[in-house]
Amino acid sequence: MLLRLRKYPFRPILVFLCVLAFYSCNRTSGEHGEKVFRVNLSTEPPSLDWSLATDHISFNVIANLMVGLTEFDKKLKPAPVIAKSWETLDGGRKIVFHLRDDVAWSDGKKVRAQDFEYSWKRLLNPKTASEYAYSLFDIVNAEDFHHGKITNDSLVGVQATDDATLEVRLKYPASYFLALTTFEITYPQRQDVIEKFGTKWTEPGNIVTNGPFLLAGWKHENEIQLKANANFFLGKPAIERVEMFMINEMTTALAMYEQGQIDFLDKDSIPIVEKPRLAKTPGFKFVPQLRGEYYGFAVDRKPFNDPRVRKAFAMAIDRSVFPKLLRGGELAATSWIPPGMLAHNPKIGLVYNPPEARRLLREAGYPDGKGFPPVTLTYNTLEYNKIVAEAVQGMWKRNLGVLVRLENQEWKVFLKQLLNDPSPVFRSGWGADYPDPDNFTKLFASYSPQNYSRWKNPRYDQLIEQAARELNEQKRARLYNDAQKILCEEDVPIVPLFTVTESTVLNPRYTGLEYNSMGRLVLRDARLKKATSEK
Amino acid sequence: MLRFLLRRLVFGLVVLWVVATLTFVLLRVLPGGPFDRERRLPPEVMANIEAKYHLNEPLTKQYGRYVAALVRGDLGPSFKFIDRDVTAIIADTFPVSAILGILALSFAVTVALPLGLLAATYRNTWIDRACVFLATLGISLPNFVLGALLIWLFSLKLGWLQAARWGQPSSAVLPMITLAAMPCAQLTYLLRSSLLETLGEDFIRTARAKGLRESVVLFKHAVRNSLIPVLTLLGPLFAIVVAGSFVVEFVFAIPGMGRFFITAVTDRDYPLIMGVTVVYTAILVCANLVVDLLYSVVDPRMRAH
Repeated sequence: MLLRLRKYPFRPILVFLCVLAFYSCNRTSGEHGEKVFRVNLSTEPPSLDWSLATDHISFNVIANLMVGLTEFDKKLKPAPVIAKSWETLDGGRKIVFHLRDDVAWSDGKKVRAQDFEYSWKRLLNPKTASEYAYSLFDIVNAEDFHHGKITNDSLVGVQATDDATLEVRLKYPASYFLALTTFEITYPQRQDVIEKFGTKWTEPGNIVTNGPFLLAGWKHENEIQLKANANFFLGKPAIERVEMFMINEMTTALAMYEQGQIDFLDKDSIPIVEKPRLAKTPGFKFVPQLRGEYYGFAVDRKPFNDPRVRKAFAMAIDRSVFPKLLRGGELAATSWIPPGMLAHNPKIGLVYNPPEARRLLREAGYPDGKGFPPVTLTYNTLEYNKIVAEAVQGMWKRNLGVLVRLENQEWKVFLKQLLNDPSPVFRSGWGADYPDPDNFTKLFASYSPQNYSRWKNPRYDQLIEQAARELNEQKRARLYNDAQKILCEEDVPIVPLFTVTESTVLNPRYTGLEYNSMGRLVLRDARLKKATSEK
Repeated sequence: MLRFLLRRLVFGLVVLWVVATLTFVLLRVLPGGPFDRERRLPPEVMANIEAKYHLNEPLTKQYGRYVAALVRGDLGPSFKFIDRDVTAIIADTFPVSAILGILALSFAVTVALPLGLLAATYRNTWIDRACVFLATLGISLPNFVLGALLIWLFSLKLGWLQAARWGQPSSAVLPMITLAAMPCAQLTYLLRSSLLETLGEDFIRTARAKGLRESVVLFKHAVRNSLIPVLTLLGPLFAIVVAGSFVVEFVFAIPGMGRFFITAVTDRDYPLIMGVTVVYTAILVCANLVVDLLYSVVDPRMRAH
């Protein structure tokens, strides 16, 4: 034995290399047909139940399995899908949706108004414990039903008056309510299916859907398979099959894209350092998002209880450096409502002005930053946030003479502190649930749970409340302008920094894929380019 | 022997209980809860969610509920992966980690045994130095660097293997090597030093003096005695490797259990963290028990005790 080993000391390794070579010869590079589209989801979707899902990964799967009453058009306005039309009655307090009668579930049954009524009431049911239940609180009695004050769900203001008519009664004219019907949480559900399968109803074989694709397989933590729905009422998608992978590591996902084993990557799969290189390749795209990043101040404590100090800090930030540092096509922003949304107004807000910033700080009693108490800027641990924080720290030191200490915290610890004891300056951001300024401006209302800076201004509350009930778009925009001026110019509890832009890259053989400003991946119209498919 | 086994089993159960309790307590001390989000929930909405998962109950009651469920083998519902039970998640992911772990450990042993043997037999020659160099490389190269290197070489440059994902037999090759590197290096070192020590013992000299062939001296007398420390290390190594590796599973997108040791903590998915911790502890306890039993096979002196 020893002699043999002496003669061939590396035999086990040789054997292994042979095995490796054998497997590599067997690899199935040609397995994927032309009509299989592969994307990286990056992680396992936490839930495919659209009453319980809360994250964009789950919604990106759901958005390809289901359609609802409406969807966004190119201008981010709700356009008809299952609802062929709607009427707004009673001064905006009642909306009646008229449904198409040719929309079918994947098991052949018709989609009826009752399916919407069931889904909305299920979302509101306290037993469902849905995180998004509050989204429908504008409906009559919805909030009381969710809180358990009413147990009879027939009192909730959503009702199918017949198979094709859905009537919604609102507590007050909510101008943004129609936009909510584009959101996946309002998609219809089948009571019989959910009651039959319980918590397992979203598994392949059980789930019943109505969208362009069907859930063909779900290997948890590994892969989701979709197949085209031949009976989809808007026409069968060109792509026959979709494979959605769960590759968490960005560099690995990118390697697979470059090997031709993945056809589409979004921000979850593209490392910051690789963006400039990828930006030069065909198929790369920057997609501006309805998502804003901001720094907030704890306005209930010194030194940021003085608006002059807050303004000085806001005016000492040169936002033009962020796109250069983050390399993702970020759009510098001084106002809060993002581009693409009603009432976006880039003229609002405090621009970079170091002399004025220094003057304000001097006026507040801290000439050249002298005597400024030690303050901390907190952000959740992420490379992206660190780059921004370090840049801002430098600007404040240079322009104001104030050295702010940086502190990064693990995500949940960070959230807990924001809630209980926010640090003097903190990082936060917001992405739209539905493309309406109401969703963005309500964050800073005095009663909002997201108002971490603890800032209160009754005039601001009143303006956004008024805007929410105003149906005339021009008047709404004016009201939001006034509210934004208070937020970003006068009181400045927050400093908007930039609007987030996502980087995406699509295999150049494909076209028609849509990645929208809320990070939704829509594969319905994706197809092989003509020249390629003819080959 | 039976008494020994029983004693060890009871002891193992106590260890399990202590670990489960400690995990429970530590998780509640950790700031931030499972449903804290950037999008903060209105208190009433939060109250309904807490009621659903019994998080509104006093801690002692939650603990009682948890232990009672654990005894029944029910690890509860995941907070993050809504509608999925932790037992089901572990049943899905653990086999993947276990297959990969067993492959990696077998590979590690297959490579480490000849390397350690060669290094000790050819002490202070170039062969020894080459083996030690390889082992040092295995210990000092972090998993994520080795993984990335392997992907770069075998997938991007040579195009032999798929960069990541689990499914075909070939997809296990790169993660197996990456996962095996560290245990392989540790085993090589240990075997080498243990063998060197044994080779200096009197009974080896006696065996040689009796004129036994070198191969008989080495395999019949030296190697067998040198395997005891290696076995001791194999127990915990088995548990570590089989429970899954966070880094390897991330880099190669392996749907295993190892990733939950990190992600479940960042998500504050209490039942999932407790589930994977309990499973890991159980594997560790079992692996050590098996090693104890194997001692008596390798070393007859142990049987007397």
